[in-house]
Amino acid sequence: MSPYQDFTLQELMAVAAAREIKDGEKVIIGTGLPLLGATLAQKTHAPNMVAIYESGAIDCKPLVTPFSVADSVLAPGSAMQGGLMEGLGMVHAGDIDVGFLGGGQIDRYGNLNTHVIGDYRNPQVRFAGSGGNNDIGTGCKRTIVMMLHEKRRFPEKVDFITTPGFLSGRGQREKLGLPGGGPSVVVSTMGILRFHPETREMYLESYHPGVTIEKIKENTGWDLKVSDHVRETERPTPELIRILREVLDPTGIFLKKE
Amino acid sequence: MRESKVMSTREAVSKFIENGMTVAIGGFFHGISYAITHEIIRQKKAHLTICQPSFNEHADQLIGAGCVDRIISAYVWMEVFGPLYCFRRAMEKGIPHKIEMEDYTNFSMMARLMAGALGVPYIPLHSLMGSDMMKHSAWMGDGKVKLIKDPFGSGVEHAVVPALVPDVGYFHAQRADAEGYVQMWGICGDLPWSMRACKKVIVSVEEIVDRRVISGDPNRTILPGYKVVAVLHEPFGAHPKNIQGYYDVDRDFIFKYIRESKQPEDWRKFMDEWVYAVKDRNAYSEKYIQTFGLKKFLSFKAKDMSCTSVNYGY
Repeated sequence: MSPYQDFTLQELMAVAAAREIKDGEKVIIGTGLPLLGATLAQKTHAPNMVAIYESGAIDCKPLVTPFSVADSVLAPGSAMQGGLMEGLGMVHAGDIDVGFLGGGQIDRYGNLNTHVIGDYRNPQVRFAGSGGNNDIGTGCKRTIVMMLHEKRRFPEKVDFITTPGFLSGRGQREKLGLPGGGPSVVVSTMGILRFHPETREMYLESYHPGVTIEKIKENTGWDLKVSDHVRETERPTPELIRILREVLDPTGIFLKKE
Repeated sequence: MRESKVMSTREAVSKFIENGMTVAIGGFFHGISYAITHEIIRQKKAHLTICQPSFNEHADQLIGAGCVDRIISAYVWMEVFGPLYCFRRAMEKGIPHKIEMEDYTNFSMMARLMAGALGVPYIPLHSLMGSDMMKHSAWMGDGKVKLIKDPFGSGVEHAVVPALVPDVGYFHAQRADAEGYVQMWGICGDLPWSMRACKKVIVSVEEIVDRRVISGDPNRTILPGYKVVAVLHEPFGAHPKNIQGYYDVDRDFIFKYIRESKQPEDWRKFMDEWVYAVKDRNAYSEKYIQTFGLKKFLSFKAKDMSCTSVNYGY
């Protein structure tokens, strides 16, 4: 039996993210799992993907996996090197196909919060702030959101809208003239969720191996709708796991052993 | 020969950074001047408003040391390394004192700085629209962001943000000449727009070079000398961060800072050891080598990946 039959949750999520990227797309990537997901796509089914970092590295093919969005390994592997005005400027113009996002909270309509838990002026917990989150969520044609799936992180309404998903639902983004299309998928630690094309409400498309639909509903802060075709999340192939472990993260910095 | 702007970091900070000023701290992970930041802390500058699209643990050290009253930024965190605890203590519990943050996004910060650099009063943008950053302000009130209708008749309503013109800015680059023509390569992040927006700029560099080196490759120059008031020779001045072609990130040291900043007492010990008791950057490098060994120090040294030169001939 292949030593890569087993996989961790993080590996499953990285593979799920990679599957969302089509060949030839322009993708703006952050650090951590999104980086592994996007790089995995580039090494497998999407060799013509254009990888962009908001810090200004454009069409990078770094020799080792970068640790930060401004890692020194990015520059010598890039076809173009600028700054935020180049990286995020192209996002702002609506040129970029896919962006990766994450956050402290996500709600029923895919709005993200990376600012505060509790009151904005007297926060219980203060997070980092937007960084490029709002810019990427506003400008990219679609976004892939990666989330820890807990009830407090999936409230019906976020405490603070850092990045608009579909706001209060159908037609809201269009009304504001936001150039990008909004979130297309949420890859959570429990399942894969998408947004209804009409109502724009989040629904469950698949559950990860070992997780039940009931458990996902319990960990979601509203009455989560479930697809009629709900199924188990597609398992990663041994070959994808091998590339993740041996090529992309040989020292195990990103994919901690469970 | 025009006047040389080369001086010590101590002199530059004392001369050009005053209490209450708005200070742009350039560098997006890459190109941050820890040399200048630590001197600001040693000189106990106070009531500063610091601004930059994204801040790392240099901002955390300034906040913990009580130098900062206000932040204009999109982000104060240390990426995948973890949270910044002085920032959180100040925002959540008012330790050492309550600070305020005017929240923008990376791009809207760049837009504000670009407007400042161009000398126009405001700039329109898509970012911020529909977010709660439109509704909430720390101290700027409705001067933070406004909605205006496209004056050219498209019918579209845009967010507009005001120009940001900091009193002074500082960052770390690879090299400059004595007059302040700065050259930088690798990740540029907020640069050069954030510095062009400032009334004056202090730059610390790995090397001070002759004008002939600068004018031999003028496309690599990111700031004109007239913007720069002080040029500081500070090798290893960006540690624990990177500067392309000189040294890489010291991840262990960043993790060490984050670990030791969790508790205020441990944070104080770290700062006593690495900032307050160290008189300048040379002493810092010596201390680093004494503590962690020459082998570790040299392990960050950049590989030679020099590029081919271009022909500027005519």
